Amino acid sequence: MKLKFDFVSSAVLEEKPREKRINFILNKVKDGTILVTDGVMSPEEEMELIKETMRRVDDGFPGIEVASLKKPAKGLTKLAEKISESKDKIATFFASISGKKDVQTSLKTGLTLIGPAKYIKEIKKNPNSFSVLAEIKKKV
Amino acid sequence: MNFKSFLSLLYRIFGLKRNLKIGLYGETGVGKTTLANRISLDWTGEEIGKVTGIPHETRKVQKKEKIEIKVGKKKLILTILDMPGLSTKVDYRSFLKYGLSKKEARKRAREATDGVIEAIKWLSNVDAVLAVMDATRDPLTQVNITLLGNLEARKIPVIIVANKIDKKGAKPELIREAFPTYPVVEISALKGKNMDSLYEAIAKYVRGG
Repeated sequence: MKLKFDFVSSAVLEEKPREKRINFILNKVKDGTILVTDGVMSPEEEMELIKETMRRVDDGFPGIEVASLKKPAKGLTKLAEKISESKDKIATFFASISGKKDVQTSLKTGLTLIGPAKYIKEIKKNPNSFSVLAEIKKKV
Repeated sequence: MNFKSFLSLLYRIFGLKRNLKIGLYGETGVGKTTLANRISLDWTGEEIGKVTGIPHETRKVQKKEKIEIKVGKKKLILTILDMPGLSTKVDYRSFLKYGLSKKEARKRAREATDGVIEAIKWLSNVDAVLAVMDATRDPLTQVNITLLGNLEARKIPVIIVANKIDKKGAKPELIREAFPTYPVVEISALKGKNMDSLYEAIAKYVRGG
């Protein structure tokens, strides 16, 4: 059996509103693809991803494994991240009180890997790296 | 952040709330229910939930209201919310080794996924969180990181509880190293070890009372 990796630019994910982004990720992962991107979701979005994953769990899809590494921001990059974070929070707040479901939010600089739990057996995380152990069992 | 959590944040900032909702969050099998039972037993003499050792035993939020704890001169009235374990995966096959039938295992898996969703939804309604971690496991998991990141973003006070320090191989220092900016209390909920330190930390880090 083969294992497929999709390396997706964070720009592709950023142009999608949050709900569509999560759908995009989960559709790929549910198909057995391991997705790698050069962006990191906010903790709130990652919780949404977990919530949506739980809604989709079935006999053939037990869930996902996620690992991310955020690039520590310094100086102007840090300031830019803070501004964009505040912008996202304001957008999310107004979306929630106006009943709007989907909001467009930015990703932070870093690396994220999301894959199907049926193939990814273990992710060993360190502060600045992670290693992934995947296993595909042959069908008999 | 929705309007409800915004109001809750205001209450916390100004210390207006008297009855504080404390959520026990963490991965499955870290001892959340054992801790909830210990806190409840210590102050009310009653337990909250069942502990069996099978993963995802708590699949619905279990609540114990009006737990009055006294630490020195400070008095807090707490509602303890024992949350279902957080997880990014639930495989019904993992329950079969505990002697459950396929039908029971599938039902349990369905309920477990609903439980995770319910626990996440409750994040908007808690005033403080005890993030429970098993001191015998690697603490640097994505679930723990995501949980702490969410609490920080929502400005919810959090105490990390390094549980199971009575077990051989427990390394609570790894939890302190992994999350150096958070208060960490080392306990054994099962043996009731160091619970006073936990109550002191609750009185110190949780506003209100």
